[in-house]
Amino acid sequence: MVAILAMLTASAAPDARSQDTSASSEYLIKAGFIYNFANLVQWPAATFPQPDSPIVIAILGQDHFGTTLDRVLQGKKVNGRPFLIKRLKSVPELLKSVAELKEYQILFISSSEMPRLAEAIQIVKGIPVLTIGETPGFAKNGGMINLILEDNRVRFEVNVEAAKEADLNISSRLLALARIVPQAPADGRKAE
Amino acid sequence: MNLLNLSIKRKLILMTMLTSSIALLLSWASFLIYDLISFRSLLTQDLSTQAEIIGYNSAAAMAFRDQTAATATLSALTAKGDIVGAVLYGPNGKMFAHYFRGEETLPELQPTCSQKKSYRFQGQYLEVCHDVTLNGDRVGTLFLMSDMRQWSMRAQRYAKICFVFALMSAFLAFLVSSKLQKLISGPIMHLEDTMKMVSANKNYEVRAVKSYSDEIGSLMDGFNAMLSDIQQRDTALRGANEELQTRTQELEEEITQRRQAQEELLKAKHVAEEASRAKSTFLANMSHELRTPLNAIIGYSEMLEEEARGSENSGNIQDLQKIQAAGKHLLSLINDVLDLSKIEAGKMTLHLETFDVTGMIEEIVATLQPAVEKNRNTLHVRLADQVGMMRADITKVRQILFNLLSNACKFTDHGSISVDVDRRLEDGRDWIRFEVVDTGIGIGAKQKENLFKEFAQADTSISRKYGGTGLGLAISYRFVQLMKGRIAVQSEPGQGATFRVDLPAQVRIETPDSAPAEGTSEVPSPAGAVKADRDTILVIDDDAAVRDLMSRFLTKLDFNVFAAGSGEEGLRLARQVHPGIITLDVVMPDRDGWSVLNQLKAEPELSEIPVIMVTIVDNQGLGLELGASHYLVKPVDRERLAALVEKHRNMHSSAPQTVRIPVSMSPDGKHVGPIGAEIVRRR
Repeated sequence: MVAILAMLTASAAPDARSQDTSASSEYLIKAGFIYNFANLVQWPAATFPQPDSPIVIAILGQDHFGTTLDRVLQGKKVNGRPFLIKRLKSVPELLKSVAELKEYQILFISSSEMPRLAEAIQIVKGIPVLTIGETPGFAKNGGMINLILEDNRVRFEVNVEAAKEADLNISSRLLALARIVPQAPADGRKAE
Repeated sequence: MNLLNLSIKRKLILMTMLTSSIALLLSWASFLIYDLISFRSLLTQDLSTQAEIIGYNSAAAMAFRDQTAATATLSALTAKGDIVGAVLYGPNGKMFAHYFRGEETLPELQPTCSQKKSYRFQGQYLEVCHDVTLNGDRVGTLFLMSDMRQWSMRAQRYAKICFVFALMSAFLAFLVSSKLQKLISGPIMHLEDTMKMVSANKNYEVRAVKSYSDEIGSLMDGFNAMLSDIQQRDTALRGANEELQTRTQELEEEITQRRQAQEELLKAKHVAEEASRAKSTFLANMSHELRTPLNAIIGYSEMLEEEARGSENSGNIQDLQKIQAAGKHLLSLINDVLDLSKIEAGKMTLHLETFDVTGMIEEIVATLQPAVEKNRNTLHVRLADQVGMMRADITKVRQILFNLLSNACKFTDHGSISVDVDRRLEDGRDWIRFEVVDTGIGIGAKQKENLFKEFAQADTSISRKYGGTGLGLAISYRFVQLMKGRIAVQSEPGQGATFRVDLPAQVRIETPDSAPAEGTSEVPSPAGAVKADRDTILVIDDDAAVRDLMSRFLTKLDFNVFAAGSGEEGLRLARQVHPGIITLDVVMPDRDGWSVLNQLKAEPELSEIPVIMVTIVDNQGLGLELGASHYLVKPVDRERLAALVEKHRNMHSSAPQTVRIPVSMSPDGKHVGPIGAEIVRRR
C-alpha cells in the first residue's frame, strides 16, 4: 500500500507501456484495490493446500496493468501468503486452466472479455474465486466486485449474493465502502 | 490587634477551628487530588479506546481512500461533547478527513506523535495520536483532541461541594469549640476575676472556687494558698505597722526630750564657758592685782637696801633683803602658777623669732651673776664656734635655761657650774644643745622619776632649805615639749647633776596660720637715728610707783629719764625729746599701750626708737608683732632691764663698746663680771 501511494505521488513515474499517465495511475489505484480486496475477503480454509500457499491472481483478457500489478504486489503478503499473477488470454484458456488446476483465488476479468462474461462466470461458479471486473454491469451480471470510475475516482460495486454463492466472506468494512448491487434476475437488462 | 493578645476564650475557639479546618482541608485535598488524577487517567483511557474504535472503523476507508466514508465515521464523535476535534492523516502526513466540534481547527499536517499510540496533555486539552492499520499495514494516523470537559466540570463540582462543606464544618467547629472552650477558659476567667477583685479591693479574704482537679485546679489551689499567705502577712504587717507607729511616737517623744536636754546642756556649757572665761579673767586680774603691789614691794625694798648700804645703816639690810627675797619668791610662784595654768589650758603659745644664742646666754649669765656668787660657785660658759643664730621662742628658751641654771646654783655650794652650748646635726636636722652641769648634791633615782612633775620637789625639806616653788623644771619640761625638743637628766646623789636640753635650731609651729613673729627689731636701721638722744629714756606708765622706781633705777644707770602718766602724754613727750629708748606699759586708762605702740611705729620720726614693753599683760606675741623691741613682764627683773637698755645705748653709739672675749673659755672658767660688763659679742 505504501508503495502504491508512493507511486501515486510520484505521478511522473515512467510507465514503459503506457504513455497515458492518467491511465497508468488508474491501474495503479486498481492494483492497490486488488491488494485491499485480498485483505478484506476471506477464502474458505480448504482453498489453500498449505499455510504459505500463494494467493493466485489471474488476469483474463487484455492486460491494462502491464507490470504495475506485479510491482505493487511485489513482496507483499496477506496472512503470510505471497501473490502469484497469471495471465490468461481468453475464456477457453481459462476453462482449460480451471479444469486442470482449479487453483485461482482472484480472477480479474478485463473489459475486453466482457462479451464472454457469463461464460467466464459460469466456469468458476462453485469455486471460491473472487471475480473482479472493470466494466459497468459486471457485478449485476454475476461478477462479485466491479471497479468503476466516478468523478475521476475509482469506486467499487459488490454483488454480495455472488460472493456468498462462491463461499467467500467479504468483510463488512469492505461492504461499508461499497455500493451493493443485487443480482440481476435474468440476463440482458443493464443496471445503471 | 495582635492575635496573641486575644482572650483565652477566643484563642481556644480559633485554635480548635484552625486545627479542624487544616485537617479537613488536607483530607479533602488528598481525596480530590487522588480522584482527579484517577479520573484523568480514566479519561485518557476512554479517549484512547475511542481512538482505537474510530481508527478501526476508518481503516478501510483510509485504505480505499474513501474520504466520505472516513468523514462519516469521524462525525460519529458529535455524540462526544468533550472531543474538540478529530483528524485522520494519511500515510503521507496530510489531512485526509476531519471533524471539528465548533470553530476550532486542527493543523492540516499531522503533528509529530512520539509513538504509535500516545497521548499528551496540552494545557487543558488532552491529545491522542493513534495509528490506523489494516491487517498490520499502517494506512494513516488518527489525531483526537479532548477539552476534558467532564474533568473540569467534575473539579468545579468538587470545589462547590468543598466550599459548602467547609462552611458547614467551620460553623459546626465554632459551635462545638465555643461550648468546649468553657471547660478551660471558664476557670481561668474565674481566676482572673478573683485576682482583679483582690487587687482592686485589697481584700485578701476572697478565694477562687475550684471546679476541676486539672492543672488549672492546682493553679487555683496555689493561688488560694498564696492569698491566705498574703492575708496572714498583711495582718502581721498591719500589726507591725501599728507597733512601728507607736514606737515612732515614742521615739519622737524621746528625741524631743533629748533635744531639750541638749539645749539645757548647751546652756550649761555656755554657763560653764562663761564661768571659765570669768575665771581666766579673774586669774589675769588677780595676777595683775597681785603683781602691782609686789612690784612696789620688791622695787622699794631694793631701793631701800641700796640706800641702807650707802648710809651705813646696815642693821636694816638683812630685813630688807628678806622682804625682797620673800617678794621675789612670791612673784616667781605667781608667775609659775600662771604659766602652768596656761599650759594646762593649752593656751601657751610660741612666739618665734630669730636671735643670737650667744647674746641670749650673755644676758642670762649677767642676770644670774648674783645667784652664782651667792653660794660661792664659779660659772663656766662654753660656746661652740658654730652656734650662731637660732629660731625659737626666746622668752621660753631663756626661762628654761634660767630655771636650770638657778637650780644648779641653788643646789651647789662652793662648786662649779658650767654651761655648754653646741650646734649639731642629728637625723638630718639642726639641733642646739644646752648642757648645764653642776657639782651639787645630785638627784636620787626616785626623785628623778618625778623630777619634771608639778609640785614634786625632791623633798619638802628642800623647799624649806633652798627655796623655790618646785615648778621650774615642770614648766621647763613643758616648754621643751612645746618646741619639739628633748630634756634629759643624769645624776647620782652627791655626784652633781647634768641637765641636757636639745632644741631644734629652727623651731616650727605646726599650725600654719600663726605667722612667725619676727622679733629682730634688735637691729634697727641706722636711718632711724634722728637726733635721738641715746642717753634719754621715756617711761610711759600710769602707775606712779612704777614710774618712780623706773626713774630712780634708770637714773642710776646714767640715763636722762622722762616719765609720762598716760599714752597721750607719752606720745607728746616722745615727739618732743626723741628719746633713745621708750618703756611702755599696756594697761592704761584712755589709751592703752598697744595703741601707743601703733602710733609710735606709724610716725616716721619715732618709728626707729626701740620700745621695751614693760607690762603685766603677758602677750609678747602681739607686742613684738606691733614692733616692740623687747617684752618684759612686771615685776621687772632689774638686771634684765639694765642689760637691755645698756645694749641699746651701746648700739646707738657710733662705735659700740664691745669687749671681745675668747669664745671657749678656759676650763676653770672666767669669772663673768656683773651686768654685761664683759659680754661675748659675736656679730
